[in-house]
Order: sequence, then structure tokens, then C-alpha cells
Amino acid sequence: MTTCDHCDKPAIFHDVRIVNNVHNTTHLCAEHALEAGVNLGPVDLSVVFDSVSEMTQNISSKACSDCGMTIAQYKKQSLLGCPTCYESFHDELLPIIAKVQNNNSQHVGRAPNQLNVQVGRTLQMRRLLKKLESAVNKEEYEQAANIRDQIRELHNPDDLHEN
Amino acid sequence: MKIDPEKNCPFSTDAAPFGDVVLSSRARLARNLEGFPFVNRSATSDCMEVTSLVRRICENDNTRLSLEWVDMDELDVTTTQMFVERHLISSHLAESTHPRAIAVGPELSRSVMVNEEDHVRIQSIRPGLQLHETRDDVHTLDLSIEEVIAYAFDEQLGFITACPTNLGTGARFSVMLHLPGLRIINDLPRVHQATQSMSLAIRGYRGEGSGTVADLFQVSNQLTLGETEENLCNILSDKFLPPVIEWERRARMHIAKEQSSKLDDQTFRAIGVLRNARILTPEEAMNCLGSIRLGVCLDRITDVEISTINKLMIEIHPGHLRWKYGTELTDEEINCCRADLIREKIGT
Repeated sequence: MTTCDHCDKPAIFHDVRIVNNVHNTTHLCAEHALEAGVNLGPVDLSVVFDSVSEMTQNISSKACSDCGMTIAQYKKQSLLGCPTCYESFHDELLPIIAKVQNNNSQHVGRAPNQLNVQVGRTLQMRRLLKKLESAVNKEEYEQAANIRDQIRELHNPDDLHEN
Repeated sequence: MKIDPEKNCPFSTDAAPFGDVVLSSRARLARNLEGFPFVNRSATSDCMEVTSLVRRICENDNTRLSLEWVDMDELDVTTTQMFVERHLISSHLAESTHPRAIAVGPELSRSVMVNEEDHVRIQSIRPGLQLHETRDDVHTLDLSIEEVIAYAFDEQLGFITACPTNLGTGARFSVMLHLPGLRIINDLPRVHQATQSMSLAIRGYRGEGSGTVADLFQVSNQLTLGETEENLCNILSDKFLPPVIEWERRARMHIAKEQSSKLDDQTFRAIGVLRNARILTPEEAMNCLGSIRLGVCLDRITDVEISTINKLMIEIHPGHLRWKYGTELTDEEINCCRADLIREKIGT
């Protein structure tokens, strides 16, 4: 396996450039690639973990109430043990999720069809608020007004039928 | 399971929009079943229960989805390798030893991996730029699967996944791009900057951790939470790709005009190797095919079809060669078979 140009860790970023017939090859590990500002794709969580390690140092023995996984085990394999881990490690995971998801913390995509109407409405509200924010930022006020009307309708679904 | 790798190449140029630059489009959804530990924490009995629950998508509804169920342990090594080479399954699924399965469409473009990193990974791959079509494919599969199983879902975090990098939509859209023009004129940093400004990731041919081969690059969305599936798909398909395709086409035209001797040298040197070599490693073959592909797109070579090159980019890998020439062949013999196949397809 190719190792990083700056240390002995395995290289995960490889770049070959030929400028004026000079062949330059770069091999970087995750840490040095991030340092160099390289976009690595889905983020290597071990690197993220190191960067928030101060927060997690004291809780590495905390275990999930359902599957028994500890934060230390998670740090080692970058995978959680079960859905309940997200509740058990809520406070520890929040900064990690924020970091890998560009500060997004709320789902606005689709939900399973079998979910109840109220959850569907909440998700729809989030989508509309996000659209509204985007429309206002782009100064598309007519579209923003339409979205605002849709938000009102979602707040008071009965009004629709009365009108 | 019987499949014919001669058919339905994911890089086929038949009906491949923007096929000169975009080789293939892929959509993937990550899902987990409610009430089960994630695969990395699952006992064998959990894995078996998950496979039997998901298997109902084939048993209950095989007319609508037309998926064939295959337990991975029953799939021979060669076919498994071929599936990896076609991006139908991941190396991780192929190499794991716990109970796992794949449900695959007869056209070999749609698949459902069971007990990969997540319990369910729904995928569709199509030639050229067809991201929206792949999104429709996986959405249809997703709706059918959720009719028979309950997904782990949280109102705040969306679809719950083993890795937080997949949370929310669980959706990863990706395209395989051929960017020799931008590499030659040293303009790839522009593509890197575009990926960064749109929260996209750019990687080599084989994905995470792989180097660059034949100027092929995979670009995919980095974020999965806080955007709708439609938006994630739009950013890649409608915002990122149109300018990049334009830059690559312009770069190619510039090279054809300003660096024609260098282009001819690279193209004919590559075809000389492929038409005469008796032993070829995958890397050498891929790099030569990449050079010839550019030459064909710029009309430097007129007796080789781009579809032939695209198919070869899949068929020269070990699984495909062992399927064609014999499963017992050694790596050295496979290197000879690779050279034979290429001479057969593009030799004069």
C-alpha cells in the first residue's frame, strides 16, 4: 500500500500532475490531505473524531443502552451499533454530525409512507421554510410570498376546505 | 444465477446522454430496518432474519420489480467479482462473510444489497448522464421495499444509518466522468473548486481511496442531511455537470487545435500498445483505453467505436475475463487474456 508523503500512514489521496514534462506525484493520508485542503469526499470520521477529541475524551466508556457499543468502539470503526446509539450518544454525536453534514442537523427529505400525518406535515413545513429562506436570499419575493401562503395553509389545513 | 456480461454494459453508449464526458450515473439509498442492530453489530441470526425479511420484496412482488434474489454465499467467486466490476455490488459486500444477499434486476442496472454497511442499499446505474432516471429507479424500489418492512427513521435525522455521513436522505448520487482534456491543460483544479463550492466529492475510478486511472473520476454529493433527494440530485446533475461538460469539451477542442502532435502521439502510441501487446496489466490497459477514448472523441481514430472502448473498460477486469476465458486462470494468464481480448475487439 502506498504511504503518505509526510508520514507513514496509508495514503488515501493520490494526485499525478505533469507540468512542462515534469511528473509530480502526491500521496496523502486523510489527515495531511485535509490539512492541504483536499476535498476527500464522504468524510473520514476518525479524522473528525480526532478534531473533536477533547469533547469525547472523558466519555469514551459511555455505552449505548440498547446494543452496548461504547464511544471508544465507535471511534475505532466509525460506525454506530444500532439506531438507539443516536439517542445514547446524542450530545457527543451532534458536533460530529454538524461537521460531516455542513452544519445541517434536520432532515428535510422524504419520509416512509407509513409514518403518521403529523410527522409528514412537520417535514413539509421544514422543506417550505428552507425554500422560503432561499427565495428571500435570492430576493425572489413573489416566490417567497407563494411559499409563505403554502406555510399558512399547512398551519391551518381546515381553512382550505372552508374557503 | 445465469447472467450474460456481453449485455447491458453500464458504460454502454446506446442512449447515453453526454456520453462523451459522462460514462455512467448512479443513485444509491441507504436504509436500515427498525428493531435490529446495524450490520457491524449484528449476530448471524440477526443477519439471517434481516435477509429473510427483505427477501419478501422478491417473493411478494416479483412481477412489478422483477428482481432476482441471490444469497451471496451461493454466488460463485467469478460472478461476484463481475458484479463488483459492474458496480452492482460493493467490494465490502463481496468480501464479507456474514449472511448477505443481493436482489438484482434482469437488466443488471438495479440492485438491492442486503447486509452491506446498512441493512439495505438500493442502487441503480445507467449509462451517460441519467441521474434523474436513476433517482426514479431507486425511489420506486424504495417505495416497494417499505411496503414489506419498517425502516428505522427519525423525524430530526431522517433515515437512520450506521455511519453519520449517510444520515437523512441516505442518498448518494454519483457520476463517472472522463476528463482527459482538463487534465492535459492542467485545469482539473477548476473542477476540484467546483466540487468544493457545491459540497461534492471527487474521487478516483474505484471510489474512496483509489488513485486516478484513465482520467476517470467519480463525483458524488458529500452531504445527505438537510437537503431533499431532489435537490441533491439537481446540484450534481443540473448545477455542477453542465459547466464541467462544457469545460471538458472546450479543453478537448483546444488540445485538438493547439497540441495536435502531442494528442496524435498519445492516441496512436496507446493504440499501438493495445493492438500489439501480448501481456497487459489492468492499469496499463485502462490508461491506453482512456487515451484512445479521447482520440475517438476528437476523430483521430475512426475505425474504433466509442461503445467498444466503453465495454472494454468493464470487460478487461479479472472477473469478466475469468468468466470468458476460464475461472482457474492465474493473474499472469489473465494479463495475456486481457491483451487477447483487446486485440480481438480493436485490432486491425
